[in-house]
Amino acid sequence: MIPARPLLLLPFFFFAIAVARAALPAIPDPAHDPRWRDLFAALSADTARVAVFEERRHFPFRKKPVVLTGELRLAPGRGLSLRYLAPDPQTLIGDEQGIVVRDARGRTRTPPNDARAQAAASVLVDVLHFDLHALQQDFAFSGERTGDDDWILQLVPRSDSVSNSLGALTLTGHGTTLERIEITRAANQRIEILIRDARENVEFSGSDLKRYFR
Amino acid sequence: MIAARLVLAAFVAACLAWLVSIDLSQRITTDVLDLLPADERSPELSLVRSLSADVQARVVLLALHDSASSAPPSEPAVAAFLSSLRTSNVMDEVAPHADPAQREALGRALFERRFELLLPAWLERMHAAFSRANSSDTFAAWTAARAAAELESFLAQPEAMPLQDLIPSDPLLLVPRVAHTLGDFDTLPHPTNSFALVWARLRASPLSDAGQAPVFAAIENALASARTLQPTLALQWTGINRFAAASRARIQREVAVLNLASVAAVFAVAALFLRRPWQILHLLPIVLLSLLGAWTATTLVFAQVHVLVFVIGALLAGVAIDYGFYIALQPPAPDNPSYTARLRPILRPLVTSCFTTVIGFSLLAFAELPLLRQVGLFVGSGVLCALASALLWFAATKSLSLSPRALPLLDRGRFSSRRIPFAFLALAALLALAAPALLEWRDDIRELEIPSADLRANDRTVRALFGDTPNRSAYLTFGDNLPHARAQLDRFVQHVENHAADLAVASLGTLFPTEHAWRTAPARLEQLADFPDRFRAALEQRDFDPAAFASFFSTWSAFTRARPAADYAQLYRDFLPHLPAPLRQSFQPFAPRPWFLSVINDSRDLSLPSNLDTVPVRQLETFNELFSRYRTSAARLSLIGLGLVLLSVMIVYRDRRAIRILLIPAGACFSSLGLLSLLGHPLNLFHLLGAFLGVCLAHDYAIFTSASAQAQRLPASAVRVSALTTFASFAVLGFSQIPVIHALGTTVALVVSIALLAIEIEARTPPPA
Repeated sequence: MIPARPLLLLPFFFFAIAVARAALPAIPDPAHDPRWRDLFAALSADTARVAVFEERRHFPFRKKPVVLTGELRLAPGRGLSLRYLAPDPQTLIGDEQGIVVRDARGRTRTPPNDARAQAAASVLVDVLHFDLHALQQDFAFSGERTGDDDWILQLVPRSDSVSNSLGALTLTGHGTTLERIEITRAANQRIEILIRDARENVEFSGSDLKRYFR
Repeated sequence: MIAARLVLAAFVAACLAWLVSIDLSQRITTDVLDLLPADERSPELSLVRSLSADVQARVVLLALHDSASSAPPSEPAVAAFLSSLRTSNVMDEVAPHADPAQREALGRALFERRFELLLPAWLERMHAAFSRANSSDTFAAWTAARAAAELESFLAQPEAMPLQDLIPSDPLLLVPRVAHTLGDFDTLPHPTNSFALVWARLRASPLSDAGQAPVFAAIENALASARTLQPTLALQWTGINRFAAASRARIQREVAVLNLASVAAVFAVAALFLRRPWQILHLLPIVLLSLLGAWTATTLVFAQVHVLVFVIGALLAGVAIDYGFYIALQPPAPDNPSYTARLRPILRPLVTSCFTTVIGFSLLAFAELPLLRQVGLFVGSGVLCALASALLWFAATKSLSLSPRALPLLDRGRFSSRRIPFAFLALAALLALAAPALLEWRDDIRELEIPSADLRANDRTVRALFGDTPNRSAYLTFGDNLPHARAQLDRFVQHVENHAADLAVASLGTLFPTEHAWRTAPARLEQLADFPDRFRAALEQRDFDPAAFASFFSTWSAFTRARPAADYAQLYRDFLPHLPAPLRQSFQPFAPRPWFLSVINDSRDLSLPSNLDTVPVRQLETFNELFSRYRTSAARLSLIGLGLVLLSVMIVYRDRRAIRILLIPAGACFSSLGLLSLLGHPLNLFHLLGAFLGVCLAHDYAIFTSASAQAQRLPASAVRVSALTTFASFAVLGFSQIPVIHALGTTVALVVSIALLAIEIEARTPPPA
């Protein structure tokens, strides 16, 4: 029997998804778990990477997400560079010295040393580098791998401060490729980052390093 | 004899009565800034000086860390440290650096006052953009659309996610826009920093006793208190008081050692030239009386005297003793053993040399630099007192004389021809003439400080922990009054925007509106009567949910109905208490000349037009430029002084002797400076001062040997003894680690030695055929 109002089923659908996610098996020892060890090793390989990303920011006061697109770069020893192409060109650089934003005119500024700003940026760096040790300190891991090489990881904050400032992380991917990051603070406050066209073992020229990193 | 004794006793009693009545420790300062005139005409320097002396000087930076691990210190241990410091009564304020609770409180206060503080500037910016846009829309419609567009654009910034809770109440982004100002302005420690940083402000001046030993003890007690909870805690800290205490201790140690070494050198020379060297002790009262007179005169005239004056003035001993030598080594007249008869042949040279020295140094009374004025008075009054004391002392005591030792070796030797003397003269002339071309002047205020490499390294380390890096530049913007200063700050920010677009200016002053924006805000708000409806529509068009901004519209409505404050300065009075202490130091809205501090994360030199009333806070360069100016002024005065000396000598000696008396010291002076430059030593104000003192001393020797030179006799023992004791005592000073003393000692020793050499060679030169 077809429901008269199929849309009414949507909440139940999402609830089912949530329940399914909540039921993801815990990964108590991610570094040594034989189901995940190889994947984590592959994700955390210290190689230079380039990818294209689309970031969707969901705000409670906005009906549609804000969509940003750009290029993502990871360089060993240099950190992470997110070059936003739209809507406003700018580059966010995260490295050992912290977070800095460079606008289209070349002006550099440091975002406010707000716990949430720093936490979001630094966790993104940790995720993209897949710094397992750093992630394990703040998050409890749970996840599942499907037969066709898809996987989903859920990182739940261990402390209230991280939970309040950031929320939970959900990472999905295929094979050894991270394809999606979702940072969820609340149902109507989240960031989704879709990653595609990822390339590894890229060589950055001197001008690239100067342009995209600190 | 009795009259002389009475006069001496009265002089000593009067001087001691004065010196005992004053608190000498309060009169003597070690602050380098006290060397600069309080009414220095350069407003920039006044501001930088004010910033240094009043604001920065009292700040103490403390960094706690666990020496056994890289984890930051425990919160209870840090709390114990803070509590102990706060209750110690030596600090006015003690605050954890970049305390998150303080920052949140500040953010909350700023958010609550966002309409009165930040809305006027927003209105002004919107109105200016609206005027430029030449839009057919009303101001309200245009502003609503623009605000919605800016909000949408902001959501693409990294700050958007962490600040999203603010946005429903602040869609105009009043607070988010200034958030980065606070971030850039107040450098924060790196998140992985394992230090607990504490900022404190001293109650007493760091240059006073109350700001040193009690503070050091309080910090030690605080550390001990924290260590009861975490025994492995270690502390690094820095403050001006540490430098001041080390400087004072160093000066005291070095002056004591130098004085002893000088006395030993003088005795060594005396032992060489006198049969009974211990007789030199008879001249000690002359030295003490001259110093007593100098101290009294200087403290009578100047309320505060820099310690360097006394250090330089201690050199007076070497000058004062000369008068004793000249009188004591003067043999009695064969036909009249009386004191006056003995004195008569040397009275004119004594008085001439004394007064020419006094004239020369009294010109320093017109110097811009207080230090030079103080030195001028100290040396001038000391020399006068030396002569008077010498004359009275020998009148008051039994007829005293020193027995010179016959030194045939020294008296031997005459040049058979004039070739060697002329070679010496040519060499000296070459050095003297080449001096102007060789001279390299380098004025550095650090020459006035006693170097303490360990403290400087510690200071750099601690400041780096607090985020103070060499890559930042600071600027002071000032004005005649608060509205003017704030307006100038806006102009400075705009100037940087226009000329160095890649630089961002961070200043807490921008939290406040200009007076113009504040006064025009009510009228502009009236033009925005329908702004709320327009804004709702604009938000809807851009996929926002207008209902989510209900709190903003409610606050807007209340604000537009409220009556604005009557006093612009009240904005500052109301908000200042909410600023943490370190941030409160960054502007002075109620100073006689209000100023705001701005920071740029770049060390590039910006050339700023003077009409911006903005100066870079490059203290070292500012003070060094000032010292160059003072040196030039001192050089000018010295040349005038030399001219007056020449005139007085020519009045007293109305023949060729006057030229000789001038040429010997002048030649020795320029040759010395030329030699120092040839050896690669850059010169500064104190080389100039030493040269001036050396000229005055060499002048004495030239005067006293004018008669013997005319008679082609060798110089008298008195001249040799006084010149060599002076050379010995100043040469010892050349070994000082204090740059000022080193410069003075080497320069005077060189000038005196070259002058003595010239006199000895002249006496041994055969007359022209």
